[in-house]
Amino acid sequence: MIAVQDLTKVYGKRVALDHVSFEVPEREIFGFVGPNGAGKTTTLRILAALLEPTDGKAYIGGADVTKEREKVHTRIGYMPDFFGVYDQLTLGEYLDFYAACYRQPKARRQKIVDDLLALVGMSERKNELVDTLSRGLKQRACLARALVHDPAVLLLDEPASGLDPRARVEMREVLKELQGMGKTIIISSHILPELTELCTMIGIIDHGRMRATGSVRDVIARLTSGRRLRISVLDDKDAAIEVLTPLASVRHVETVNGSIEAEYEGDEKTASDILFALTGAGVRVSSFTPVDGGLEDAFLKATSEDVG
Amino acid sequence: MNPVARALWNPIVAKEYRTRMRTWRSLFAITLYVVLLGGLGWAVFAAMTGNALGIGSSGSGTNYGQFLFMFLIIFQVALLGFITPALTSGAISSERERQTLDLLFVTPLAPFSIIWGKLLASMSFVVLLLVLSIPLFSLVFLLGGIELDQVAYAFAVSGATALTLGFVGIAFSCLFRRTLPATVAAYGAAFVLLLGSYVYGYLFPTDADPTSTVVPAPPAVTLVSPVIPLVTIATNQSVAGYGIRYSQDAIFKSGGGYCTPINGGTMCSSTGPVNQFAFNTGTTMRSGLFNGWQYWQASIVMQLMICAVALIFSALILPPVRRFHLRRRRLAAPAPA
Repeated sequence: MIAVQDLTKVYGKRVALDHVSFEVPEREIFGFVGPNGAGKTTTLRILAALLEPTDGKAYIGGADVTKEREKVHTRIGYMPDFFGVYDQLTLGEYLDFYAACYRQPKARRQKIVDDLLALVGMSERKNELVDTLSRGLKQRACLARALVHDPAVLLLDEPASGLDPRARVEMREVLKELQGMGKTIIISSHILPELTELCTMIGIIDHGRMRATGSVRDVIARLTSGRRLRISVLDDKDAAIEVLTPLASVRHVETVNGSIEAEYEGDEKTASDILFALTGAGVRVSSFTPVDGGLEDAFLKATSEDVG
Repeated sequence: MNPVARALWNPIVAKEYRTRMRTWRSLFAITLYVVLLGGLGWAVFAAMTGNALGIGSSGSGTNYGQFLFMFLIIFQVALLGFITPALTSGAISSERERQTLDLLFVTPLAPFSIIWGKLLASMSFVVLLLVLSIPLFSLVFLLGGIELDQVAYAFAVSGATALTLGFVGIAFSCLFRRTLPATVAAYGAAFVLLLGSYVYGYLFPTDADPTSTVVPAPPAVTLVSPVIPLVTIATNQSVAGYGIRYSQDAIFKSGGGYCTPINGGTMCSSTGPVNQFAFNTGTTMRSGLFNGWQYWQASIVMQLMICAVALIFSALILPPVRRFHLRRRRLAAPAPA
């Protein structure tokens, strides 16, 4: 549904995007992760046909973003990292205005507005002035705005930034619902744990270069090379640590929140050997769980060194 | 909806009407406009009444009517010169500042439609002001000396002036990212268009050709200013000597008499230089680019030309992905890593 090929954007002497490539199949939620200034917004603006790339190609549903702008605009719903609201307009009028801009027939617009307000849980606020809404409500209103023409693709730039935890959860629920409706979504965010839960695919970008892309599980597995075990013991933790530390497969041992976490090189048989060593030394193990390195680890590793 | 109807009536117009008329600023502007124009009309009327009642007054109602009309229409244009740039100079730049311009760009609305919608909404407000001023202008008919067609021509010139200032304001609004510099530039342009071109006629007048038998016309650029066309409409005659320089050579001796070109012919006198201005009546130009045109017609055409240039400029620079670039583009991309 979305294909980006060798996308490059140069501002003067600064290279904002350096041959970025990735693909997002239909109905996937692609998490676009990177530090500030990494090139996320530039990529999304190029995909929204708001910016011309210096080089490379990008397609939305087969439409070239530089040559078929009108097709692209009918296929995407773009939500930038700012609200973009008018004063003196009610929420209903605001959505109706954009529905009219997207050439939705007048007879249908009222229903579109009502349905979208119901989707984002703001039906009771239809007659409130949109610029007087709270940050979280404005964010939801802007998401509704991006949906007025029922686009197949959603480009969401930091949709959860500045939201309180409840608003974030609500936003996440709405996005899951949209995925269920068949939308393909690209979402850029700094809030990594949420992306792990929400996204099916991930792309990590830094200094304009794509460091890693693929399914969330693959990227995490690829970037967090050392596997981790979380071990709880009934009695002496120090004894357990003394058993684990000399093992050749164990790279690092530490205590985290009352449990022992051991990073090791190897596979499931190695983990079994570690458990055997502990029980063989008389340590009474109450729990022994493999721990994913997590997106945060993957992100830190990807952005701290050249992964290629 | 067909493309023409869609261009003329797009959602931006409806949205602008809604938001504009919900603020106290619009009400205040309308009130101030009517009060100022009415106040001036009353002051001029009172002054003329006092003058007419004075001893030895020789003024007629006809002259007073023309005088009042001239004051009102020029003051109206001056007011529009203040109001119109304020209406349009922020039209696009305020969308940028509010960060809503990108949201319009991702809709199927063409940049031209965005400009047109903004302009139509602003100009509708100007038309509202012009309509509101009609009752004030009806005072002139009490005194006489002004025909309905003169009022229509004067309103056409005023409307064209407002339209020009509107288009120029929009162009600056597209050019500048912030509203403040766009507004300053729009007022500067309004000053140049309204007064600068008028003053140009005094500074760089057309030199009368001593061999020509027709009255020379002021430089065409002076017609951008509505001042002279409005005066010619109100007084039904051209403004004596404006934009034309009669050098000594222009008044030439001929067969023992003095001749000078006037109004399409030559007037000679055996006693001394002819006062050509005494005969220089009519509002039609007899030479130059607009030979045979009325001053007001030429002025409207000049202003519409500026509108066209401003519109094309705006449509070219507004799109986020432009077909042309003000600066040379850097085409070379970095080599793949």
